[in-house]
Amino acid sequence: MSELRSQTLTLLAKDLRLEWRAKARLVAVGVFGLLSLVVFSIAVGPDSKALTAGAAGFLVIALLLSSTLALAESFRIEHERRALEGILLLPVRPGAVFYSKAIANTLSLAMLAPGLSLFGVVLYGVELQPANVVSFFTIWGLAAAGLSAPGTLYAAMTAQLRSRDVLLPLLLFPLVVPVLMASCKALALALTGDPMGQMRSWALLLLCFDLIYWSLGGILFPFVIEEG
Amino acid sequence: MNRRFAKEHWVGLAGLLLFIVGCYIGLFVAPAERHMGEVQRIMYVHVPTAWNALLCFTCAFIAAIGSLWTGRERWDATLVAAAEAGVVLNGLLLIQGSLWGRATWGVWWDWDVRLTTSLVLLLLFIGVLSLRSFAAGSERRASLTAVAAIVAYVDVPLVYFCVRWWRSLHQIQSSPATVDPAMVLPLRVNAFALMFAAIWFIVRRARLELARRRSSETAIPDRIERIEVRHA
Amino acid sequence: MPEGVILGGWNFVIAAYTITAAGLVLYAWSLIRRTRQQHQKEGKS
Repeated sequence: MSELRSQTLTLLAKDLRLEWRAKARLVAVGVFGLLSLVVFSIAVGPDSKALTAGAAGFLVIALLLSSTLALAESFRIEHERRALEGILLLPVRPGAVFYSKAIANTLSLAMLAPGLSLFGVVLYGVELQPANVVSFFTIWGLAAAGLSAPGTLYAAMTAQLRSRDVLLPLLLFPLVVPVLMASCKALALALTGDPMGQMRSWALLLLCFDLIYWSLGGILFPFVIEEG
Repeated sequence: MNRRFAKEHWVGLAGLLLFIVGCYIGLFVAPAERHMGEVQRIMYVHVPTAWNALLCFTCAFIAAIGSLWTGRERWDATLVAAAEAGVVLNGLLLIQGSLWGRATWGVWWDWDVRLTTSLVLLLLFIGVLSLRSFAAGSERRASLTAVAAIVAYVDVPLVYFCVRWWRSLHQIQSSPATVDPAMVLPLRVNAFALMFAAIWFIVRRARLELARRRSSETAIPDRIERIEVRHA
Repeated sequence: MPEGVILGGWNFVIAAYTITAAGLVLYAWSLIRRTRQQHQKEGKS
């Protein structure tokens, strides 16, 4: 277990370095998320009530769309330079490769939170009370984690294939329906106030999904990258 | 060419006959339901379809585990076959459910727990089959398909649970009436009918898959081309 | 549960049964056709 942890951390340092070098791309992904928010508001129209009511949902969808780009990229570089095969030649546990990538992806997606939320708050006219800020960003983090684990697994799978750009969202979107639902509900409560104290239950549900996806991802990842 | 009447054809034939009998009973013999009238009869195909769709996906899940565990192509072929049969049944299920909803609730779609879960399940396994077709030619095709199938199947209870919780905050769920003993017969008959049909589908499709693999393995020019591309 | 009795609805019932039967038959036919194609391919090579 400690071997897995130390290997994960070592690989994580490598992955974070890769992310840092590719920060321009992360900025572009963030801008794409912002553009999605703008497009949603255009689609819904000038009815500000509808926009405010749907704000949490729009933010989650913007996160989801951004994740599609970010996740696909995370394995493309490994695949193109055959770096993944190089790593696997070392006595490294495949699980460590998965967890380091998944953590790096979660952090990237979590970094989109401030920008997207600020934009969303302005565009959709929601008010984020100071008391709810911590909950809001915690839920965002849990949502990012819930997208990253299956996303990393599928990114590794589809990086090897043709039409990977279409295949990743096709596979990922139905899979993360529980994460989307739970995070939309929880974020909505964080934004609008939570008179009945339900946010905690949704956040716990989201945490459960995260745990399930992260465990499953670690178990199945070796089958995805090992030689046939 | 082998012209023996294969064993599974007997099963398929039994399924067909049972289906005709079951539908006949369901349409003409079973009594009309107290509240729902004739519309209740949709249940006699809808419920068996639901059971067997889930059965097919469960079979696919087991085959996926077998495929990862043993690496033998029989499991992979069964996985594809069961996934395809499940998708067909699931698609039919949604259409039946939509017709039922239109007749009873007046809407073609409702974000009911079961409908939503079924839709997501359908999309998940369509994804599995798409992955497989895009992975054609890859030596990892079997393991990728198996991983996707396992993840898809595990996700289903999560979706069900989540949607149920989501729904419970909106509305009380509706469910079909508890079944009168007089109506159990067409349900049972059709359940077996569709199960036999599903078995026939899965066996035929799995054999087809194995035959395709055999014939592609002996096609030598393809393999040389693949090896050359790998080392480019 | 809806109150009262739903009248009619035979159209929906017939539609459901017909589409189900058609779907199953079509899939069965597609399997038979693909298997035949495969046999022909094997017969040629």
